[in-house]
Amino acid sequence: MDNNTISPRQFMYLVILFLIGSSILIVPTPLAATAQQDGWISSIVGMSTGVLFVLLYHKLGVALGDRNFIQGSIHVFGNWIGRVIAFFHLSFIYILASLVLRNIGDFMTTQIMIDTPLQFTHILFMIVVILAARLGIEVVGRSAEMFITWIMLLLFFLFFFLTPQLEPNNIQPIFSSYPKSMIGASLTVINTPILEMVVLLMLYPNVKEKAKARHAWLWGLLIGGGLLSLITFFCILVLGSDLTALNSYPIYELASKINIAGFLEGIEIIVAIVWMLTIFFKLVILYYAAALGISQFLNLDDYRPLLLPLGMGLVVLSIIVYPDVAYFETFVKNVLPYKLMHGFLLPLLLLIGALIKKKRHPYKGTSKVK
Amino acid sequence: MKGIRYFWGKSRLILIMFSYLIFLSGCWSSRELDELGIAVALGIDKTEEGTYSLTVQIINPSEIAAEKATTRPPVTLYKAEGETLFEAIRKMTKKAPRKIYFSQLRLLILGQSLAEEGVLPALDLLYRDAEFRTSFFMTIAKNASVEDILSVITPYEKIPANKIMDTITAAQENWAATEGVYIDQVISDIRSTGKSPVMTGILLNGSEDTGNSIKNIESPDAPTRLEIDHLSVFKDDRMLGWLNEAESKGYNYIVGNVKNTLINFPCKEEGSGKIGVEILRSNAAIDAKLKKGKPVISVEIEAEGNVGEVECQIDLSKPETLQMIEQKTEGDIKDKMQLSVKAAQEVYKSDIFGFGNAINRKEPNYWKKVEKEWNAHFVETDVEFDVKVNIRRKGTNVQPVQKEG
Repeated sequence: MDNNTISPRQFMYLVILFLIGSSILIVPTPLAATAQQDGWISSIVGMSTGVLFVLLYHKLGVALGDRNFIQGSIHVFGNWIGRVIAFFHLSFIYILASLVLRNIGDFMTTQIMIDTPLQFTHILFMIVVILAARLGIEVVGRSAEMFITWIMLLLFFLFFFLTPQLEPNNIQPIFSSYPKSMIGASLTVINTPILEMVVLLMLYPNVKEKAKARHAWLWGLLIGGGLLSLITFFCILVLGSDLTALNSYPIYELASKINIAGFLEGIEIIVAIVWMLTIFFKLVILYYAAALGISQFLNLDDYRPLLLPLGMGLVVLSIIVYPDVAYFETFVKNVLPYKLMHGFLLPLLLLIGALIKKKRHPYKGTSKVK
Repeated sequence: MKGIRYFWGKSRLILIMFSYLIFLSGCWSSRELDELGIAVALGIDKTEEGTYSLTVQIINPSEIAAEKATTRPPVTLYKAEGETLFEAIRKMTKKAPRKIYFSQLRLLILGQSLAEEGVLPALDLLYRDAEFRTSFFMTIAKNASVEDILSVITPYEKIPANKIMDTITAAQENWAATEGVYIDQVISDIRSTGKSPVMTGILLNGSEDTGNSIKNIESPDAPTRLEIDHLSVFKDDRMLGWLNEAESKGYNYIVGNVKNTLINFPCKEEGSGKIGVEILRSNAAIDAKLKKGKPVISVEIEAEGNVGEVECQIDLSKPETLQMIEQKTEGDIKDKMQLSVKAAQEVYKSDIFGFGNAINRKEPNYWKKVEKEWNAHFVETDVEFDVKVNIRRKGTNVQPVQKEG
């Protein structure tokens, strides 16, 4: 394929965007619901365990060399078993992409454009995503470099203007919820977005300077996870844990709380740009990974012809993937085994296989692209 | 071949044009300003049959923008009844010329009977629906029906809802016997086990018959006016009664709401003229401790003020005099807080100050034990007050203007 490389810095930005995208909408509510005012601690705990997963993914990425997850599993486990694993992984990515698309659609239809049917929001959003995926990962990486500034500025803006509304009483007493509920809440964070990071392995071969890639991934986790925890922290500080748990989109409620001397208010929709952009990038990564993976699965030369039909499929899948929001809320709570299988067990299996294979045939190396 | 190419050449244009249609879906939920009836105040009450009766105050844009005085009122009222609030709102389209738009809502008035019955069921829609923002004040109609209060035409400020909102803000910041509460605060207080909400009351002063006609604002002294009253006490989501002015102020001291207020007391003995102290800022901290297994609440207030008004002959140049004024001010603040706590503990048995939450913050283990029957414990909880007032300045005069002798 053509020159499709991203720098470690761009990869770090993509990790940050990937972590914030869609989690910013769905994570604070279950965190506050299970761990009450300690939800932000659970978030930090969950993010910290992310380090282990990043190390695992990095090790796997190095072991696979120039191959991404799909090529790697076919290479390691052969045409049949490898393809079964690849199939599961692709289905995981594709379903995740449809869920992420549905997140932004649900948000728009719940808060902003209530009468507009979901399909149209999805189609409009998907058009841009297809366009971006068509241009390739290099363009996506560069645009991430541009947009990260805006996202950071808007988040800073949000945090800064909320400082008058902070209510320190809301997070007290610290560490008073039961350890069980705190761990339970941190599992939510491990679910979404930590284990989803496995998808980034699809981009890993494109990262220049592998030596710096691990560094970039860890920094991305630190910044992205830190921001996510900070957002939860602010939700609880401003709204209180009870209202955070009561709101479907506490971050939007948070943004609507900004009121500077009565003239700077009602600007929540500007803050909403943060998740429009982050979800866009998350979706582009997922979508690109899905298209690329499927083209490699089918031994196609180029993934681009797949983009349009896959996009159409994604719009349909995102509508039927769950019937109502209550279903989704239950799904988010109970999805851990599914995510654990795709985000932990399969990569671990692949890593073990790759290491054994490397030991047996050290001369073959890993640089050959299938 | 040529035919197909020709067809493609023509149809491509049409296809591209059709593809633009998808962008039109962005206008799906569009609502133009001239199709909206902008609601500024909403009144909710229960009818005798148990249904909701809803009164909405909608602004008349042409009257607000008019440069010349007109004879038409600046706002219009619409009423509807329904089994649920939402039904009542939708039924209103039978009467109103436009669909009512609630995002600019400034004021919510709850009828007293609804408040006594429980407000939480009525609040769900207001917090759930995306059209309602959370930036409106929650109030209670104290001595008149919701409809009567909403139909008063106010002088000075054209839109009555804005008038009430501004009055609440001004009174809260400068007089501190009231508090403008928002819906999320009320909901969070009701749902919390360690605090009960308060809301401010609205009084109708004068007769409603004159208040609802434009004549009301034709004379400089409008015969019917709307006035902000003191705070109402809730327990869970039911209103129990009202605090008086001193108790309301005491409440605001305790929860730290006092920004600016005035305190006055006699100079020496009764009837010798009074001194007024202007409080400029105050800080409150509620702390909880366990003493012999029983919670003790201590309220610490630190306030700063100026001598505002002196009606008697005292020597203001002496530091002792200012100290005397400080002590009396402290005494007055303490008295008000005690009155307030007494009313909450003995009359209403409802923890409006959030003492329960303070205990939860400091003694979470103890709180988990008493949380369920906190109201019973609250009544017996000891409250200590520690007030420190600093009088820094005395205005532009060195001594009272009072003549000696």
